[in-house]
Amino acid sequence: MIKVEHLNKSFGDLHVLKDVNLELAPGKCNMIIGASGSGKTVLLKNLIGLLAPDSGDIWYGGHRLSEMDYDAKKSLRQKIGVLFQGCALFDFETVIGNVIFPMNFFTDWPEEKKRERARFCLDRVNVKDADDKYPSELSGGMQKRVGIARAIALNPDFLFCDEPNSGLDPYTSSLIDRLIHGITEEFNITTVINTHDMNSMLEIGDSIHFICGGTVMWSGDRHSILRTECAELRDFVGANVLARHVISESVSSR
Amino acid sequence: MIRRFLEATGSYCLFLRQVFRRPEKWRIFWRQFVLETDKLILSSIVIVGVISVFIGGVLVIQTASNMSNPMLDRMLVGYMVRETLVLEFCSTVVALILAGKMGSNIASEIGSMRISGQIDAMDMMGVNSAGFLVLPKVMSATFLSPLLMLLSFALGIFGGWCVVEMTEIIPPAKYLAGLKYSYNGFYLFYSGFKMALFCFLISSISSFNGYCATGGSMGVGASSTRSIVVTSILILLFDLIVTQLMLY
Repeated sequence: MIKVEHLNKSFGDLHVLKDVNLELAPGKCNMIIGASGSGKTVLLKNLIGLLAPDSGDIWYGGHRLSEMDYDAKKSLRQKIGVLFQGCALFDFETVIGNVIFPMNFFTDWPEEKKRERARFCLDRVNVKDADDKYPSELSGGMQKRVGIARAIALNPDFLFCDEPNSGLDPYTSSLIDRLIHGITEEFNITTVINTHDMNSMLEIGDSIHFICGGTVMWSGDRHSILRTECAELRDFVGANVLARHVISESVSSR
Repeated sequence: MIRRFLEATGSYCLFLRQVFRRPEKWRIFWRQFVLETDKLILSSIVIVGVISVFIGGVLVIQTASNMSNPMLDRMLVGYMVRETLVLEFCSTVVALILAGKMGSNIASEIGSMRISGQIDAMDMMGVNSAGFLVLPKVMSATFLSPLLMLLSFALGIFGGWCVVEMTEIIPPAKYLAGLKYSYNGFYLFYSGFKMALFCFLISSISSFNGYCATGGSMGVGASSTRSIVVTSILILLFDLIVTQLMLY
C-alpha cells in the first residue's frame, strides 16, 4: 500500500501541496482528481520520486521513500510503471523497441523472449502491426496504448498514469480507461490515475481523492461522490454537464 | 553572478558523478558508444576535412607572401605551416568548429528529450538516464577526437602541398623539406591531448545544458546557444592553461 503523510511541497513562494494525507488502495484504480493547477501532477511526481517533498513522508509498504538509497530507489522503480501525460515514448526507438527498452536493462532474457513479452504487452493493449513504426508515426490513442504496454512490460506492482485521457476523443478515452482498469484487475496492480475527466472517474474510479488548493479535501468512491456534501467537489463535478445531470437526479431521488 | 556560477559548477560536478556511474549493462554501453561515434565523430569527418584542406592551402600562400626576404630559406614555409597546424589549428580551431557542430547537436538532442519527458521516463524505469545518454557521448568524443586531430593535420599538410604543386609559390621539394625540418613528436601528443580535453568539455557541458533544459522549445534553443558560448570560451581558456603547462 502507498501512504502519504503530511506532504508539503513549495516552489519558491508558491506552496503547491499543503499537508497532504492519503492512502492508496492496493489492487484498485485510485483516482486523484482536481482542477488544473490544483497540485495533482506535483503530487504524482512526489509519489514516484521525480520531485522531493519539502516535508512529510511517502510510504511504499513499510519503506519510507525519503530514506531509500540510490539502489533501493532503483529497485523500487523497476516495480513502478508510469504513463506520462505526453506518453514520453523514446523517439529513437520503434514501438517494439520502446516496450523492450526496460527489459534490456533489467532482465537477462534472450532477445526472442523479450520480443515475445513485448508482443504480449502490445497485444494486451490492442496494438497490432505497428512494431516497426516510430512514435511520431502513431496517433495519440496509439501512443497512449504503447505507453501503457511499456509501463507494464516488467510486470509492475504499481502503475501511475498522468492524465491518460488528455487530448483524446471520448470514445478512445473510454477505451483507454477500460484498458487501464482491465490491466489493474488482471495483474492486481495498484493504479494511481491523475485526471480531471469526469467520465473516467465515474467509469473506473474505485477510490477517489479530490485535491483542491493543494490539499486533499475529500476521499471516497464513485458512488459516494455524487452525494457529497463538499461544496468545492460539487462545483468541480457539477461543471461537467453529464455529471451535473446525474447529481441532480441523485439529489431529487433522495 | 558569482553565486550562479558556483551553483552551476556544483551542479555540473554532481551531473558528472551521475554520468560516470558504472553502466547497468556494458553491452548496452558499447552499442551506444558505436552509435555515438557514428553521430559525433564520423559525421564530423567531412567538415573537419574540408576546412583543414583549405586552411592548409591558405597558410602556405599567406606564409609564403610574408617571407619575401631572400635571406629566409623558402623551406621555412613548410616548417611554419606544419607548426601552425599541429600547435593550434588542428586542436583549438577544429575544437571551436566542433563546439558548434557537436555541441548544438548534443544539447538540442538531450534538451528535447528532457522537455518531452523521455528522460523522466528513463529515470522512472530505474535507468541512470545520464549514464545511458551522456557517458557514451563523452567517452566517444574524448577518446576518438584525437583521430580527428590527426586527420585534420594530414589534410592540412595535403592542402598546403596541393597549393604548392598548383601554384609553385615555393618549390615543392622545399615545402617537403620544411615539413621534415626540426620535427618534434611531442607536439602531436600535446595537440592530441588538447583535442581530447576540448572534446570532453564540449560533450559534457553540452550534455549538462541539454539535461537541465527547461521551458519548451525556447529552453532547448537557449541551452544549445549557452553550450556553444560556454564551451568556446572554456576551450580558449584551457588552451592557454594547457599550453603554459605543457610547452613552457
